[in-house]
Amino acid sequence: MTEISIAYCSSHAPMMAAARDSAEEQQRDRFFGALEAIRDDARRAGVTACVVLSNEHFTNFFLENFPQICVGVGERNWGPTEAWLPIDKAWIPGHPGLANHITRSLLNSGFDPAFSHQLELDHGVMTVYHELDPQLQLPLVPIVQNCAVEPMMPLRRWYEFGVALGEAIRSYVGLDRIALVGAGGLSHFIGVPRVGDIDEEFDRWFLDKLARGDLDAVLDMPDDELGLAGNGAHEIRSWLAVAGALAPSLGQTLAYEPIYPWITGMAVARFEPVS
Amino acid sequence: MSLYQLHRCVFDFLRAGEVSSGAAPSFDASNYDLSDSERKVFEAKDIAALYQLGFHPVLLNGYCRAIGYERSDYRAILASQSLPETRVGRWHKEPERNGA
Repeated sequence: MTEISIAYCSSHAPMMAAARDSAEEQQRDRFFGALEAIRDDARRAGVTACVVLSNEHFTNFFLENFPQICVGVGERNWGPTEAWLPIDKAWIPGHPGLANHITRSLLNSGFDPAFSHQLELDHGVMTVYHELDPQLQLPLVPIVQNCAVEPMMPLRRWYEFGVALGEAIRSYVGLDRIALVGAGGLSHFIGVPRVGDIDEEFDRWFLDKLARGDLDAVLDMPDDELGLAGNGAHEIRSWLAVAGALAPSLGQTLAYEPIYPWITGMAVARFEPVS
Repeated sequence: MSLYQLHRCVFDFLRAGEVSSGAAPSFDASNYDLSDSERKVFEAKDIAALYQLGFHPVLLNGYCRAIGYERSDYRAILASQSLPETRVGRWHKEPERNGA
């Protein structure tokens, strides 16, 4: 059986890698400090693989066929896609055993994920994965989510997906300890008149809900309301899936910095089950 | 003749690597079934019109960056398309002001 030793979520603005120094130093240090602490804990815990959930940004799929969920089941995936992202381009090892088990288990739980034998990993996965393992060696099962193209799976359904995902991971025989990672959010606006704005009030409200384990008001939210915090806020789907995977769980905020040069509410939170 | 065709055209334009701020002479948009107005918008790189047509913002962001606009540049251009926001989210303590 596989233990989810570490479960956390982090924002994944590409500027955290591409324009790292544009952020105010103290904000930058607090944000990356939280990710460093998680990296150290992951090493100490001896995690030997990770599962990373992130939004699809028209990197693998386009409007002809746009899955809500796609599990990367291949031996390896390529990333980062973006030429300008200052992370070494590399074949990132997958974990077909875990990935196929997750896919089959989800199918038996009432979810219908697509699967891919080779995904392109863009900043959504790579920025956060690179902070977890700068050597890019840790086997990675990517799960691509539709957080950008309507119609999208409702928030509550993503939480329920997380519950099924957690059960799937824990029932896998072949690994001892893994990290579960949600990458995306929080508030940001892309390709719209408010590009550059951050809804700090939303971000703090959402993080507070996670910390209290009081998610009903979040899970009931329709997409047009969530979109008031920016079209990028739909990426909280990654966070809700991780919360579901450890349910009932509390998400402790390790860092929250509204970093305007990165046009994103940048947060890191770690999830623990409520015993 | 559909917004899908316009999306596909811009997506292929980006994927073809025609991403300089200058002209894209080798990209042939004639293969796409665009209306006259859509073709004009694409050829003019009229991002305000693209936004108004309902073009997907993630793709619009990539397109703006590819043709040389900084985010602050295209924010200024799109500002003319911004409508006053009267709705509030359940997290707002007081009504949100558009652009605040």
